Amino acid sequence: MDTTEALALAKEVAGAWTWETELVEPEENRLDIHLKNAGDLAAAATEIQANRLGYLAAITGIDLGAEAGELEALYHFCQAGAVITLRIRLPRENPVVATLTGIIPGAEPFERELSEMFGVTVEGLRAPNHLYLPEDWPDEVFPQRKDFDPAVLDGEAERSV
Amino acid sequence: MTTNTTSERFTVPIGPQHPALKEPGAFRFNVDGEIVTSATVRLGYAHRGIEKLAENQNWVQNIYLFERTCGICSHTHATTYCLGVEKLAGVEVSPRVSAIRTLVAELERIHSHLLWLGVSAHEAGFDTLFMFGWRDRETVMDLLEMISGNRVNYSVNILGGVKVDVTPEIVEQILAGVDLLEERTKHYLDVVSTDAGFLQRTRGVGVMTREQAEALGAVGPTARASGVARDLRVDAPYLSYSDFPVQMILDDRGDLEARFVVRLRELFESYRLLRELVTHMPEGELATRMPRRIKAGETVSRLEAPRGDVFYFIQSNGSDKPARVHVRTPTVCNMTSVVKLALGHQLADVPLILAGIDPCFSCNDR
Repeated sequence: MDTTEALALAKEVAGAWTWETELVEPEENRLDIHLKNAGDLAAAATEIQANRLGYLAAITGIDLGAEAGELEALYHFCQAGAVITLRIRLPRENPVVATLTGIIPGAEPFERELSEMFGVTVEGLRAPNHLYLPEDWPDEVFPQRKDFDPAVLDGEAERSV
Repeated sequence: MTTNTTSERFTVPIGPQHPALKEPGAFRFNVDGEIVTSATVRLGYAHRGIEKLAENQNWVQNIYLFERTCGICSHTHATTYCLGVEKLAGVEVSPRVSAIRTLVAELERIHSHLLWLGVSAHEAGFDTLFMFGWRDRETVMDLLEMISGNRVNYSVNILGGVKVDVTPEIVEQILAGVDLLEERTKHYLDVVSTDAGFLQRTRGVGVMTREQAEALGAVGPTARASGVARDLRVDAPYLSYSDFPVQMILDDRGDLEARFVVRLRELFESYRLLRELVTHMPEGELATRMPRRIKAGETVSRLEAPRGDVFYFIQSNGSDKPARVHVRTPTVCNMTSVVKLALGHQLADVPLILAGIDPCFSCNDR
């Protein structure tokens, strides 16, 4: 399936979904599917997989800031040049999302990164421990959030020696 | 006296100081006798927080930062970043800029694949191939040094252009270097597909079926050696690949031998492409003016690195610094396959199975 076919099929498939969605085409090779309800993610990803609309290439986390009080998670599926993205908003306080590893085993490292860098709880993840951050990294400190202050790590170096 | 018939299970930790590779990664293999029953991986020993750091540096400074994501495919990272930022800014570069970027990218692929050939041969205990492979790799390293002045981090890119030009003397050297390398690569392809001792280590070992490769999201030569037709140079040509097309190299055997064959056969495509490219170099300006602030927006930039699909998500809020850059390197995708493929194999096969994906820890830690 080439880029144009993948985008056309994605539009058709996502257009037929009954979940609350909004389709945006930010660039000629991209289709962003905003899922209004984060709970629909696993079902939407299953549909993407079933229609062979690419492989899960990455999960991008974005912190929209304390003022907005939200995080955004982007699940990028790539087929040829097409990038089909499922976008969900999560509250900054206690963000929870279901794991996709049951459908896409390759999602594990991406989900673990999202979890430790942004503090998103990924429910059902087999090994929710740190993948990249050190074992003695302080709890509730998420380095890729916008308000991360490296000063919280002062003294950590001595502690771990 | 009773004999304990239940087999004993042990956990074999390997790393973080990896015994063979020069980069850190920690693996734990649970073994039943010699057979691996489960495996886990722990990364992050080379994590430098590049994505976070990028948010505090301006667009130009970030070229140098992202170039240092990886020491082997540094040019790929800088190019992916530059292409993304140029797309956001709506700047078109000249065909000559694209051609020079393509030229360096293909030289980089050659150096990376030959580097990998040496490392993997060493892991298989075939040090003669390791030594010869790395001796010949010096040819391409010299070419890269001649073009850019550097052996690593070539720093060829600027936003909107390139810093270096390709002169007729350089073209001559490239053609001579490519001739030599092509001759040598033929020999290596012959060796890895006929040497009986080597084949015992690679044939039928670490088999990943096409279905597995797709489910695990494998990319690059690792996926193509399992018959997954996925190569961005062919699927979505960028830079000069639409004018100078490459052929996708596929193999459906999925074992370690196939991964050797696919990477070596890709080298022939690179040699052919380089010859065409330097003899039909398009004309054009080497640099296009770029704005200091990049207009708000977001883009996805993808390139086929030597190890597979590199993915950059770049978001701008209209200032002179990016709001968010997410980098996903091919090793992250392929690392899951190592943990799965090792199951059921002898522990002694694990180092070569790991080397088979051409892992780059610096890349996947960022």
